[in-house]
Amino acid sequence: MTFRLRPGKKGVELRLHELEAAIMHVVWGRKLTSFTVGDVLAVLERQRDIAYTTVMTTTARLHEKGLLNRQRDGRRYLYSPRLTREQFLESTAREVLDKAIGGRQAMAMLAEKVSEASAHELDDLQALIQKRRDELEERKL
Amino acid sequence: MSEATFPLLGTAIVFLVVLPACALSVKICLLAAERTPGPLHNLTLRYLLLTGSSVLPLAWLVSAGLHQAESGKSAIACLLDHGAAGSCLESGYFALALGLATLASCLRAQHRSGLVRASGPENEQSLRQRIDRVILGFPALAVLKGRVLVTSDQSFAIGTLGLLRPRVVIGAHFADLISDEMLASAFAHEVAHVRALDPLRYWVLQLALAINPAGRFLLDAHADRWFAAREAHCDREAVIHGASPLSLANAIVSAARPRAQLAVALGPSDLSSLRFRVELLLAFAERAPTRRSTRGPSAFAVALALLLITLILPHQTSTKPLDALHAGAEHTVSYLSH
Repeated sequence: MTFRLRPGKKGVELRLHELEAAIMHVVWGRKLTSFTVGDVLAVLERQRDIAYTTVMTTTARLHEKGLLNRQRDGRRYLYSPRLTREQFLESTAREVLDKAIGGRQAMAMLAEKVSEASAHELDDLQALIQKRRDELEERKL
Repeated sequence: MSEATFPLLGTAIVFLVVLPACALSVKICLLAAERTPGPLHNLTLRYLLLTGSSVLPLAWLVSAGLHQAESGKSAIACLLDHGAAGSCLESGYFALALGLATLASCLRAQHRSGLVRASGPENEQSLRQRIDRVILGFPALAVLKGRVLVTSDQSFAIGTLGLLRPRVVIGAHFADLISDEMLASAFAHEVAHVRALDPLRYWVLQLALAINPAGRFLLDAHADRWFAAREAHCDREAVIHGASPLSLANAIVSAARPRAQLAVALGPSDLSSLRFRVELLLAFAERAPTRRSTRGPSAFAVALALLLITLILPHQTSTKPLDALHAGAEHTVSYLSH
């Protein structure tokens, strides 16, 4: 999933919606390395009136966006951050820079970079190419 | 009723009704055009449909508005009494409002996409020498002589930018990762973009979609398919000009690879177009592609001809659609005000 830059926002909020950013602030601020939805909810509840399902949905979305790792622990999920705040801000700066260099609008790219989640599919493609190369070389021999 | 009625309401109707209706019609045509066997077919037609759906109606309406303002024919459709003068400038103001709204849309789209600038080249002597050696060793790359910029941006692989004088920009990090043969193949792909002025082509298409309020909603998927097909077309051109299909496929996969630290969720997860290109290149490794005997006309030449015809048409034939828009806008306000 790609992030959209949100005009008029700064820092983490440049790429995340308000609640997503609030959750990440909790995770990074309290240096949570492994947490459940309930852990985040307990902190957020002190700041606002918020439902468990809202936090659960938003946390799942952060996982889909590649910001949180997730693993099943019985009937619940345990989450952990994939990036530090600094790494996330660095990648945001990179994205802004990419846009300044030129987006797809007027630039023909050999290939757009894919998300890290798709890296294993690239490995498959690479293996497919190598296989064809080997086949062709075998035929030559 | 104010004389501003038609210029303002007419412009609103064009953007909210006419352009979306054109986008819808074009979507239907594109669905038919994309059904033809071979995703690389009808590329020029698809490009013309995508851009023409916004550009041509606007060009016709602006031209017709100016024509009616010059000749004073607009008074025929005008509900306002202009007295003995028998003419009104509403059509001229309408053309002006339409032109300004179009310009504003273009500027907004341009602002959002960021200005296109080559990133500052880093004079890495060894890489420059390697690039020169690769270009010299591959006759088809001669056009790139003096047109390759190097960037130290590690997240950048390789691409072509520059609207009127395209240049190839390559990331030093990417160049380090690939072999000379892959580099030559990647350059051969970019040569196809340079020769076809693809950055300009992409820019016009993106502006056309941005101008049309329904463009993104109705035509974005078709535009994405066109971009993917265009990239595959350039792969094919590269192979025809002597690039190794497997090395090009390898270069494409390397260019798509995210950087471990920075690339989390930065790029698209849908690899279908990438897979299609790689599979096409694997097929080319088995059987080299040949140039089709009947090549279609250049999209730019056809687009310019169509634009010219569209601009001249209102001056030679009737401007009844504009009259209908003019009268319709004023009747609507008249009806609502009563």
